[in-house]
Amino acid sequence: MIPSYRQIIADGLWHNNVVFAQLLALCPLLAVTSTATNGLGMGLASTVVLTGSNLLVSSFRRWLIPEVRIPVFILIISTLVTLVDLVMNAWIHELHKVLGLFIPLIVTNCAILGRAEAFASRQPVLPAIADGLMMGAGMTMALVLLGACREILGSGTLFAQAGLLLGGSFSVMELVLWQDYSGVLLMLLPPGGFLVMGFLIAGKRLVERSASRSRQALSAKTIDPTIDN
Amino acid sequence: MKISIPQAAPHVRNPGRVPSLMTTVLIALSPITLFAVYQFGWPALNLIGLCLLSALLFEILCLYSTGKPLDTYILDGSGMLTALLLALSLPPHAPWWIAICGSGFAIIVGKHVYGGIGQNPFNPAMLARVALLLSFPVEMTHWTQAAPLLSTAAPSFIEGLQITFQSSTAFDGLTAATTLGQLKTDLSQGLPLQQLTEQYFQPLDSSLGLTAGSLGETSSLLIAIGGLYLLRQRIFSWRLPTSFLGSLLLLSTTAWILAPEIYASPLFHLTSGGVMLAAFFIVTDPVTSPCTRRGQLLFGTGCGALTFVIRTWGGYPEGVAFAVLLMNAMTPLIDHYVRPRRYGRSRTGTPIKRPLWRRIREFFYTQPKSPSSGSDK
Amino acid sequence: MKLFGFRGGVHPEALKQHTADHPISTLPLPAALYLPLQQHVGEPAEPEVSPGDYVYKGQLLARSQGQISAPVHAPSSGTVVAIDEFPAPHPSGLPVKTVILETDGKDHWSPAWTTPTDPWSLRPEEIAREVGLAGVVGMGGATFPSAVKLGQSLQYPIHNLIINGSECEPYLSCDDRLMRERAPQLIDGIRLTAHALQAKQATVAIEDNKPEAFAAMSAAAKGINQLNVIRVPSRYPMGWDKQLIRIITGREVPVGARSASIGVCVHNVGTVYAIQQALCAGTPLLSRVITVAGGAIAKPQNLEVPVGTLVSEVIKYCGGLNEEPARLVMGGPMMGQIVPHTGVPLVKGSSGVLALTAREVDDGPERPCIRCRRCVEACPVGLMPVEMAARLRADDIDGAVDYGVQDCIGCSCCSYVCPAKIPLVQYFNYARGVLDCRQTATRKAQQTREMALARQQRLASQQAARDARKAAKTEDKAKNNTKNNIKNTRPASKNPDRPASGDDAGTQHKGAAANIIATDSRVTDIPLQSEQLS
Repeated sequence: MIPSYRQIIADGLWHNNVVFAQLLALCPLLAVTSTATNGLGMGLASTVVLTGSNLLVSSFRRWLIPEVRIPVFILIISTLVTLVDLVMNAWIHELHKVLGLFIPLIVTNCAILGRAEAFASRQPVLPAIADGLMMGAGMTMALVLLGACREILGSGTLFAQAGLLLGGSFSVMELVLWQDYSGVLLMLLPPGGFLVMGFLIAGKRLVERSASRSRQALSAKTIDPTIDN
Repeated sequence: MKISIPQAAPHVRNPGRVPSLMTTVLIALSPITLFAVYQFGWPALNLIGLCLLSALLFEILCLYSTGKPLDTYILDGSGMLTALLLALSLPPHAPWWIAICGSGFAIIVGKHVYGGIGQNPFNPAMLARVALLLSFPVEMTHWTQAAPLLSTAAPSFIEGLQITFQSSTAFDGLTAATTLGQLKTDLSQGLPLQQLTEQYFQPLDSSLGLTAGSLGETSSLLIAIGGLYLLRQRIFSWRLPTSFLGSLLLLSTTAWILAPEIYASPLFHLTSGGVMLAAFFIVTDPVTSPCTRRGQLLFGTGCGALTFVIRTWGGYPEGVAFAVLLMNAMTPLIDHYVRPRRYGRSRTGTPIKRPLWRRIREFFYTQPKSPSSGSDK
Repeated sequence: MKLFGFRGGVHPEALKQHTADHPISTLPLPAALYLPLQQHVGEPAEPEVSPGDYVYKGQLLARSQGQISAPVHAPSSGTVVAIDEFPAPHPSGLPVKTVILETDGKDHWSPAWTTPTDPWSLRPEEIAREVGLAGVVGMGGATFPSAVKLGQSLQYPIHNLIINGSECEPYLSCDDRLMRERAPQLIDGIRLTAHALQAKQATVAIEDNKPEAFAAMSAAAKGINQLNVIRVPSRYPMGWDKQLIRIITGREVPVGARSASIGVCVHNVGTVYAIQQALCAGTPLLSRVITVAGGAIAKPQNLEVPVGTLVSEVIKYCGGLNEEPARLVMGGPMMGQIVPHTGVPLVKGSSGVLALTAREVDDGPERPCIRCRRCVEACPVGLMPVEMAARLRADDIDGAVDYGVQDCIGCSCCSYVCPAKIPLVQYFNYARGVLDCRQTATRKAQQTREMALARQQRLASQQAARDARKAAKTEDKAKNNTKNNIKNTRPASKNPDRPASGDDAGTQHKGAAANIIATDSRVTDIPLQSEQLS
């Protein structure tokens, strides 16, 4: 059964969000999200790899033998990661210096292998690309959110060094929220990542709970069983 | 005829209650609190008040958001205890936001995130202290020389407010290093230890509390008095503080005897920093320490050993808080593996064996003719 | 005498002074007695009388049936009104089969009743039988039939008979009064019991908060060889038989084994008194001494009451209630059971009736556990109630079993000390209930499997027999044929193998059955509830 694009989008961005629902990709996530820019860079790189791997896996799915599918997935993913790594090194070298260590680690990112296994190897090419894009977008969103929270709390800035990633014209994004802010060092350290992520997940569940409550209230009011849950 | 609801035994209860336990601990902390106020003046009072007040507010916030009954939980005193312990581990001239951040961290992240009272794996006060130390290293290591209340060197009420609320440097307090901090700095500069300790370490001052340091950590003597009171009230057993102090004493003595020019004396270790406060009020926290006697000994020993290791070879001058947190993480493991022996069973849980002579005797025993019990004529 | 260590335990306020200093008074005979047919552990007794019968005092009302059971006798003369369902002295108040006896106030002994012959000339097994006929059960609350206990203990050489006079439950002082007032009879009872068990020595353990009882018993025991009266520390649960064994002998009873297997047998003073009455006076167990106490009772005291008296009668005799009690308890406050109302009868195992006020109960709201480990310190078994309760709250029965919930004796020490007022014992009782259900289910499945296997085996052996018969026939034929043609012997000689192979199958089945028996014995290794109670 091919899911609708609407469902793919909703899953990728919210219901089945890589970070907040599947709790995958935590290692690079916690390591790089000390600023929103790093999070954005990591998210975009992962999205590229994710979309590419979904595309390739989905196109090869008819010829994949189940017994060797995992090595094939890994091979595809690592090829893409190498490409991304080299491209970043060539064109956004400064950011590559910051994220350098974590880009090759995308290979081991469970989210990408997970999507290849759970989605791309069973679906046609177009939905697979959509899934890769949406999962990547959801992940990027989460990484940026996490990075932003940590950056604001930890060093009082937002999108510092965005110019490095997106080009000089984007330097306007770089905000300094508080002058002479000494910063909460803890937030820039790994425990800060865990803390912020914990609170963000709690927030997501809070939103879901209140949404389901209001939906229940609504369905109770209208007594309409056809409401799409 | 009254029909009552079935309730399991017992039908009488011990009068002890959770709030009264907490009150007892608060009473035991009162001498050191009063001494802190006397020694560091208005800023200390401000900090303690701020911590207590903000902890109360955070507690209400958390209870309200989790839908727990306010009246049962707010008066159980555990939040107050956490806040007071946190306040006592702050530097005297810390700014107001340190106090509020700290108690917020302790109450929200340290306690309620895990499910509230009794559920936290880490001691909330120590967790907050470590979080503050990592986040604000400058403010958290800004020590001032003690200036007793009403003495000429003491800050006035207004100055006290300025110190706490404006982080103002208007009041020219004497900055001083703690003995532990001094030791770390000097050792890193390669100065010989013996000469140093003579300079700034007076055991008597250190145990009376006439030194620089956190609010409630200076006077080892008063802390010990409070601790002994708790021991008398049977709030905790002797095992935790004894094993903690014992292992620290043992390790530091061994090291000191082996190389007195590098390692500080055992007396120095025991009386400086947060060791005493931790021994009687932090390590003994029932929620985060093991339940069994042997488990407690293990836990205390681990805390002492880690404290020594971190102090001696670690990056921070003081290691008590880290040591306690590390051992807190071990508590569930200890409780899983270290259990009391059950009646009629060996430690491994198998039934104990009867003595050999009895089995031999039974072998030669002939049973009197079996009686025909239970039948009626 | 040197005592060994005591583990765990608590110090509840004794509160015995209201009743311990007044002599035992006798309750006037009530107009009606309600005698449940099951006042003991085991099978209920089988009624011997029918409604309308006139019965004499001491006459058998219901006969014991089965291995573990005890008879019920008429505590007074009168007419049997009915044998019907009546509320039991149990928290549920559910009805059980009860003989309702309307007394005539004459207290007529049966004309056939005679004083017994010299009890000292009886052999051990005869003593056990007499005790069984008298309907004596464990009077400390366990209500395990004493005759069965005596009989079981005879399987082992008994070294020490321990008489439990500790009475560690607060409020209760009936054993105390019994020891003070009837010490000579008790000593006789102890000597008879020791004789019945062939015990080398007997030890009477009395808590040190009962100096008068200790003095009375010591005086009565003076000059008797191998009979020690000792003081033990006042600490609950001193009266737990295994605790007494540990403190007196320094040994522990292995899990799943009987106390007798380490050469010790423990009896309550009340039981010993009932044994003495049965053997020396020939009186079956008709009445018992109970303590009526609690803040709500106007005149707390010790009373000798006929078995089957309603709680309401007893309370009325003690001046009624001062105030509405918060809890009405039968037995002691630590292990007693709540009774739903005063319209339930007292039974053989009831050691007291307590009407506790709300102030005495002191039951605050339940709070979250702060892991203060007082329960761990208090547990006499060496369990970790805090961990077990944490698992049971998440309905993790197996986790609780891993921490030993099946070893819990329900002494309530943990609940008593808990500052958060968590009903720990209730959790553990629940867990043990679930475990019992599981055990029963396993047994049932085992039995079904065994029966299926037995059927298979039976069918196989029938088949084998049929084959054997066939083979024999063929052999006969073959034999006949040999005369004619020797070459034909070959197939015939092969045939006798078949019954043999059938036998093989049979042994295989036997092997499987043996396996099942082995697994079954593993199942029965779990200590029985009755053993824990005894």
